[in-house]
Amino acid sequence: MKQIVGISDMKIANKPDEELVTYSLGSCIGVALWDPIVKVGALLHYMLPDSNIDKEKAEMKPFMFADTGVPRMFKEIYKLGAVKERMKVYVVGGAQVMDDSGLFNIGKRNQMIIQKMFFKNNVAITKEDVGGTVNRTITLHVGTGQVKLKTSGRGEVDL
Amino acid sequence: MSRIDEILNIADHIPPFPKVAMQVMKMLEDPEVHTKDLAETIQYDSAITANLIKTCNAAYFGLSRKISSLDEALVLIGHAALKDIIIASSSARFYKGEAGGGYQLEQGDLWKHSVATAIMAKSISRHFKGVEPGTAFTVGLLHDIGKRFLSSFVASDFKKIMDRTYNDGLSFMEAEHEILGMDHAELGSMILQKWDFPEEMVLAVKLHHDPKALDKDPLTALLALANTLVISLGVGVGADGLSGAMQGEGLKRFKISARDLDQYMMNLLLEMEKAEEMMTLSK
Repeated sequence: MKQIVGISDMKIANKPDEELVTYSLGSCIGVALWDPIVKVGALLHYMLPDSNIDKEKAEMKPFMFADTGVPRMFKEIYKLGAVKERMKVYVVGGAQVMDDSGLFNIGKRNQMIIQKMFFKNNVAITKEDVGGTVNRTITLHVGTGQVKLKTSGRGEVDL
Repeated sequence: MSRIDEILNIADHIPPFPKVAMQVMKMLEDPEVHTKDLAETIQYDSAITANLIKTCNAAYFGLSRKISSLDEALVLIGHAALKDIIIASSSARFYKGEAGGGYQLEQGDLWKHSVATAIMAKSISRHFKGVEPGTAFTVGLLHDIGKRFLSSFVASDFKKIMDRTYNDGLSFMEAEHEILGMDHAELGSMILQKWDFPEEMVLAVKLHHDPKALDKDPLTALLALANTLVISLGVGVGADGLSGAMQGEGLKRFKISARDLDQYMMNLLLEMEKAEEMMTLSK
């Protein structure tokens, strides 16, 4: 069964036939977590780095922002038995249009905050595919931990 | 016939923009227009009427109760909102089915992208002096109409276009232009001209991917910004991805900061949820 993760959403699954997918990551970032022992997976699609811009909306939609969404995602996956040290961690997205002024650098800011958060919390990224100007779709197979990445204009590959 | 002639031939034979919409827009220029006259005109087009009733009920337009007839809608909806609803109800027919398939857009994606751009264009319009929110909404809705009609040409030369973007660093639209002799922005502007939309809209559509668009006239800058933000969010984006440049420097002229951009992106998502009824009009 396929569960779709929308923009500013996060889903967790632990049935072996389940797939989590998030479509069309532009400057947004998709984070996939998978624990090979308990075979639980989670997928987050956040939009902006920092919830300080609107605390009220962050309450309503915590997965819209990296700083509220990522910790919440880890909390939720721990509840299903996942352990930080053995989890596979994938990060994709963070593209942006070309602009020297830096005003459209949402993709870059989205990348930087997650690197900072992971560094601070000793989380190692297993694989990533970030930046550039492409649109990405990521699928996590919960039973096997296989992660597929589809890039705009190109086909689908294993990440 | 050469390919560019084939494309121009298609442009010549594009179906007209629904007459009823054009008539209603004209009627709405008179603030004293009678509801009865509007209803008489609108009901000639059953597709527009059905779409209008459906769209009115979107939370986006903020009506306090559910509407089930045209008369009710016309009494309760303000003229500014009615213009947006008429344009959306009339445009949807051009975005049905595989519109945009050549750009690897899934069914419904081109419409979704267009509605999102319309909503974004309207919400940022307060920064752009002299631009009517309704004009912003309309140009947002129609800016990619060229994709609808260029799609099959892009499909037949897709590999060539992609090769130029990978190997030579061209943006998708530059490659599109080089290989087809025409790009969707240019074709779109020709279509708007043919449909008798105002010159400022024709120009805005033509330049919506121009890297210097933010330095141009207000409507052009507004459309380019709205489209860039919607593309950044990945809403209805195909093989062209985020390719292409947009010089953000020009935003300073409109006193728009990076923080404003974050806020508008955040709001767009919430407004799109409220506009669900409009999102599904092309189905």
